[in-house]
Amino acid sequence: MMREALGVVELLVFPGFLFLSWLALYFEWVDRKFYAKLQYRYGPLYTGPKGFLQPFADFVKLLAKEDIVPAAVDRFLFTLTPILMLALAFYALFYVPIVPMVRNVAFGAFEGDLILVIFVLTMVGFLKFLAGWGSTNRFSAVGAVRTAFQLLGYEIPLAVVLLTAGMGAGTLNISLIAQKVASNGILASALLPALAISIVCFQAELERIPFDIPEAEQEIVAGWLTEFSGRRLALFRFATDLELTLAAALTAALFLGGPYGPAIPLIPVQVSYFLWFMFKTTVIVMVLANIRALFARLRIDQMVHFSWRHLLIAAVAEAIFIQVLLAAGVIA
Amino acid sequence: MGLGLVKWSRIKSPWILHFNSGACNACDIEVLAVLTPRFDVERFGMLLKGSPRHADIIVITGSVTRQIRDRLVRIYEQTPEPKFVLAVGNCAGTGGVFQQCYNVYEGVDKVIPVDVYVPGCPPRPEAIIHGVVKLLQKLQEAS
Repeated sequence: MMREALGVVELLVFPGFLFLSWLALYFEWVDRKFYAKLQYRYGPLYTGPKGFLQPFADFVKLLAKEDIVPAAVDRFLFTLTPILMLALAFYALFYVPIVPMVRNVAFGAFEGDLILVIFVLTMVGFLKFLAGWGSTNRFSAVGAVRTAFQLLGYEIPLAVVLLTAGMGAGTLNISLIAQKVASNGILASALLPALAISIVCFQAELERIPFDIPEAEQEIVAGWLTEFSGRRLALFRFATDLELTLAAALTAALFLGGPYGPAIPLIPVQVSYFLWFMFKTTVIVMVLANIRALFARLRIDQMVHFSWRHLLIAAVAEAIFIQVLLAAGVIA
Repeated sequence: MGLGLVKWSRIKSPWILHFNSGACNACDIEVLAVLTPRFDVERFGMLLKGSPRHADIIVITGSVTRQIRDRLVRIYEQTPEPKFVLAVGNCAGTGGVFQQCYNVYEGVDKVIPVDVYVPGCPPRPEAIIHGVVKLLQKLQEAS
């Protein structure tokens, strides 16, 4: 009985919906604030302490704004895509170890959940395409086609590199991979190139500079998001924040051991999980923000060219490298 | 309580759309200075948005030429409620040096309702920020 009650708390409060929502807004704040610092700006400053409540204020404001449905849009897709994208982003996060409470693994962990999460990541990209396509706006349509084209570029290297971590750890359960990586230093260091590749791929998945080609505001207004306003835009922004959370949590879990790490003396193990998780994911979000500040936007052909010529080859080389290490018995 | 939260969020997160209705670019450069590191209005939660569907405040520069009138009205209608209009510069207020030209409307308020006027040719970035603060004060005082 106690166990079930704890499970409900884990689902709804911590590290369930409530904590994940907080985490998504927190990461948006870290991203914006660090990005601003790199540009010698302050970023959000007066909304809550250090502008901490800025993402929340944006969210509430958009929820309360007029929700326009243009006459020409496909009403079904226009309504479905924001809700489905938010739901999928939440759904995938329950398979990634964040702060394991009851069992020592993620809430929904099972053997093979890595495949499921990769599928959800692709679905999210595809939903962006559908959202833009359903808007029947010329800018949305161009943005949607670019999203789909970009998906062809980053998706395969990303899948290869995520599965490489699974190969190295000998399991497809994200939580078990994280435990293995956290306890095996050789595996963790052999996966460092994979970490770099996955960060580049997630930057493309999240459509951030230099891969913000689908929403290039100087060319195509706001890309696939152009026609969305009010509540729908709020849901999309929130889903994007959750996607950022998913990217950071998944990268941290697969390549850095996620919440698992050396025990910190004198505190309960759950608190150390929380501290390790926040530390690793915040660093990853800062790296993503740093890439955003460093580069300018690529053209779509440059992006796909880069993905297939360099990123995919690097990902496959990394997979072969891990296989060789496994065959040589270096990784126990 | 609920309405108080909405009002707070509106004041804390004004997103702007920058619209040039026939300005000479001087006002536009000052608007950009507001957004870039020296004045950095993201401190107050202001972001520049590309799509009128995402914006709260339309920042209009220029004296509304006959050619751009229909586009301006359409952009205004595309913006979701509640929306506000900030007329930046003398041209946007009164037509400025283009007054009595055959091809201008002599001010944004001849075409769409305006909430705050910021005079100047061009107004300094501080003046534009002051205009936005006036607008947010109006919002604060409205019930």
